[in-house]
Amino acid sequence: MALLRAALCPGLTAQMVPLLRASGVRTVVDFVSSDLEDVAQKCSLSYKALVAVRRVLLAQFSAFPANGADLYEELKSSTAILSTGIPSLDKLLDSGLYTGEVTELMGAPGSGKTQVCLSIAASMSLGLKQHVLFLDSTGGFTASRLYQMLQAQAEDEEEQLEALQRVQVTRVFDVYEMLRALQELRDSLSQQVLSSTGPLKVVLIDSVSAVIYPLLGGKQSEGLALMMQLARELKMLAREFSLAVVVTNQVTRDSSAGPLKPALGRSWSFVPSTRVLLQSKEATSEKTNTRRIASLAKSPRQPTGIQVVLDVGSGGAQELSPATPTQGL
Amino acid sequence: MQRDVGSLPLAPALRARLVAAGFQTAQELLDTGPCGLSKEIGISKEEALEALQVVRQECHSDATQTAGAPGTSRKCTALELLEQEQAQGFIITFCSALDNILGGGVQLTKITEICGEPGVGKTQLCMQLAVDVQIPECFGGLAGEAVFIDTEGSFMVDRVVDVATACVQHCQLIAEAHQEEDHLKALETFSLESILSHIYYFRCRDYIELLAQVYLLPDFLSEHSKVRLVVIDGIAFPFRHDFEDLSLRTRLLNGLAQQLIIIANDHKAAVVLTNQMTTRIGQSQSTLVPALAAAVPAKEAAIPAGGHCPNLHAG
Repeated sequence: MALLRAALCPGLTAQMVPLLRASGVRTVVDFVSSDLEDVAQKCSLSYKALVAVRRVLLAQFSAFPANGADLYEELKSSTAILSTGIPSLDKLLDSGLYTGEVTELMGAPGSGKTQVCLSIAASMSLGLKQHVLFLDSTGGFTASRLYQMLQAQAEDEEEQLEALQRVQVTRVFDVYEMLRALQELRDSLSQQVLSSTGPLKVVLIDSVSAVIYPLLGGKQSEGLALMMQLARELKMLAREFSLAVVVTNQVTRDSSAGPLKPALGRSWSFVPSTRVLLQSKEATSEKTNTRRIASLAKSPRQPTGIQVVLDVGSGGAQELSPATPTQGL
Repeated sequence: MQRDVGSLPLAPALRARLVAAGFQTAQELLDTGPCGLSKEIGISKEEALEALQVVRQECHSDATQTAGAPGTSRKCTALELLEQEQAQGFIITFCSALDNILGGGVQLTKITEICGEPGVGKTQLCMQLAVDVQIPECFGGLAGEAVFIDTEGSFMVDRVVDVATACVQHCQLIAEAHQEEDHLKALETFSLESILSHIYYFRCRDYIELLAQVYLLPDFLSEHSKVRLVVIDGIAFPFRHDFEDLSLRTRLLNGLAQQLIIIANDHKAAVVLTNQMTTRIGQSQSTLVPALAAAVPAKEAAIPAGGHCPNLHAG
């Protein structure tokens, strides 16, 4: 609902705007839906000029329906499937992270979400040579851990350092800072500022619930609005710039014995198209437990309920090889 | 930089009115000016002026960040972060086993949670850390100061005196063994009085005082920039008893956690929390788990001190 301003479109002059405003036409919607003959009479403006302005405004502001086949062609040419570097996780995600979509990793504290994110960042930056943006809102990003993972995957120190340079980290501890960081990203991508960003394909956000949780619930009404703003930003980024967005979320329970469900409620559940739940395996006799079970909770392509086992040990998240039963730190 | 009006940190009622009036970007707000704004939305000129100041500040800080202003910018590559992390020191605990598990000691810019049964030594460890953070740099310490927020009232000054005296003696022995000039010079300022005077003690009796203290801490830390350790002894205590609204508790704890992370990150300080243990009654057995585990996402490993950690004190 944009306000009518003098320079909004070529036909709309500075003299017309106050006249229109005086007769109650303030926004584009008002203009387009009003009876132009009436308006022309009331404001003593030329009918032809008003019709021309309406045509331009409609062209500028309305959404155009697209043909399904065209959409499919466009999708085929612009979507990429990025391998996460963890074969079992790729199997869960139907061969990898799809650009243009938001994927969510959820789990209790200590279930390995940050480790999996770091592992994805490491393999994208080293293996696929893509730039990665990591928005850290929990303070959990440890560069030495990322370095450890890179060292396990590549021998050459040059390559490791280059890979580290491709990972851009922004610390945002507040929902407004996060919104600002995402809008900055959108601006720099739309202006195609190459410089340090390079070909950005993946945005990892760890975690979304940490910044939204303090705002939800109780008598606060703005929490939900801010959450949906954030959701809109993420989806727009993913769709417009063909990025793969990965977010992490916490889990809650309805009662102390109930099943785990994702935090942030029902409204957020519509945002990610794929949801993966990470859980620790039940404590076995070994002291160091690095095994995690990843199960698919929501997916547009795969049947839900598929489970795989990951190892978040020293080499980064890997699938558990059947030969070695334990792979401690 | 076109900031969306919905994402600006304004009061929600004001934001709703702006959106209803048709404003979409921050630039439109700035173009309209305070008089036009107050007429459009029906707020007083002072409110419009305040709102525009906030908007201007937001847009201005956007501009400085993209121009690459150093200092407060939180954006960097992983390589730069790695260099920063490797140059960072640790707060040693004088217990080598504990230091080994923690990877060198208590890490700066992270939150460490210590949980354990009552009487196992959590407060002792915190007092030890408050002394250890002050060890001069030539002895391998951080030469920092400490903030101690006490909610349970278990801080005993005479015990801190013991710990501090032992620490000073330990450093004196090192200085005698090595006989270097800077060691002796540092020892002149590292005495019992100076250690005690650099531990800033706050006593919070309920959760409101605790929250207020934590939210006021950034201002305190900007005045005392040498603080490298913030200890909150007993984060569970004010929240566990007498709290009817559990969802409010979760929200408050999450907000508290975020505030602590901001403090740890901006002031390069280590935040140490102590937590109580509670019993989770399972189907066949009951286990001891940290209380408030799911609510406060602690960033480092919680050490379930089972009482068998040797040499916990320096003296």
